[in-house]
Amino acid sequence: MRYERQLLIPQIGQSGQEKLKKSKVTVIGVGGLGSPVLTYLVSAGVGRIQMVDCDVVSESNLNRQFLHHTVDIGRAKVLSAQEKLASLNPEVQVSTVNQRLNPDNVKEYISGSDVVVDCVDNAETRIMAAAACMELDIPLVEGGVRGFYGYVMDIGKDYPCLSCLGYDTVKQKTPVPVLGVTAGIIGCMQANECIKLLLGIGAPLYGRMLNYDGLSGNWEEVHVKKAADCPIHARAEAGKRGK
Amino acid sequence: MIEVRFFATFREGRDKVSLLEPKDFKTAGDVLDYFRIRREEVAILLINGLYSPADTAVKDGDVIALFPPVGGG
Repeated sequence: MRYERQLLIPQIGQSGQEKLKKSKVTVIGVGGLGSPVLTYLVSAGVGRIQMVDCDVVSESNLNRQFLHHTVDIGRAKVLSAQEKLASLNPEVQVSTVNQRLNPDNVKEYISGSDVVVDCVDNAETRIMAAAACMELDIPLVEGGVRGFYGYVMDIGKDYPCLSCLGYDTVKQKTPVPVLGVTAGIIGCMQANECIKLLLGIGAPLYGRMLNYDGLSGNWEEVHVKKAADCPIHARAEAGKRGK
Repeated sequence: MIEVRFFATFREGRDKVSLLEPKDFKTAGDVLDYFRIRREEVAILLINGLYSPADTAVKDGDVIALFPPVGGG
């Protein structure tokens, strides 16, 4: 039986498994973080998963994006990933959006999701996704990696977001160095947070940025605060009032 | 003392945590200059968990956390 081992976990059980089956998650980005996130959400039996990515597989993706194989070079990432995920667990409905998110379509795509998981590689999309999630009151699991380091944090309308932390002014130099293992570790943590949020169990990482240091082998938590003048929280409030 | 906590690649070539004499530093920017970190290298600068621009005054007991930009995929 596919879910036998997790049904034995008291915090999940049959009722938790039913909850996962009825859940919908949107994963933005089907790369180094998206690969472990999608793999573990699909294998855990999350009922409906939508993945968003407009990119095609390139050879330089293959050190970390394990849903894509050498034969997939040149294929759309969402199609390459869908094939493997369908083979892993045909019980899960995996839908694809092969488009770049923009301010005009982001809310349409994430609407109806119980949780959104951010696995993108640029600050602009991170901020746009966070703004849309807050406006629609959808929990967002945020993660980022660099070299041997990474972090994971949950974002919600009543909790600090990346913009609260001043991240929207970041000018990111690309390509960002990444070890595949680091993306795997942070992606697994994101999948874990997503499952916690879907089931309403444990202590979500709201207001707690959990930082990983793969060189020294440490995890460190940094408590972060919501900014009183955060433009994204203000936009989310204004968007709600405008409804 | 002012505690400075470095994260990710800011740790390389430095201790993870440094303690500074408050009398030597007026702003968070002075702290960055001391460690030869350019403003544009910093993605997140927190003082006691709150986002703070580089010109924010610092005082005894403050904890400054510094993060570089990260990627995703």
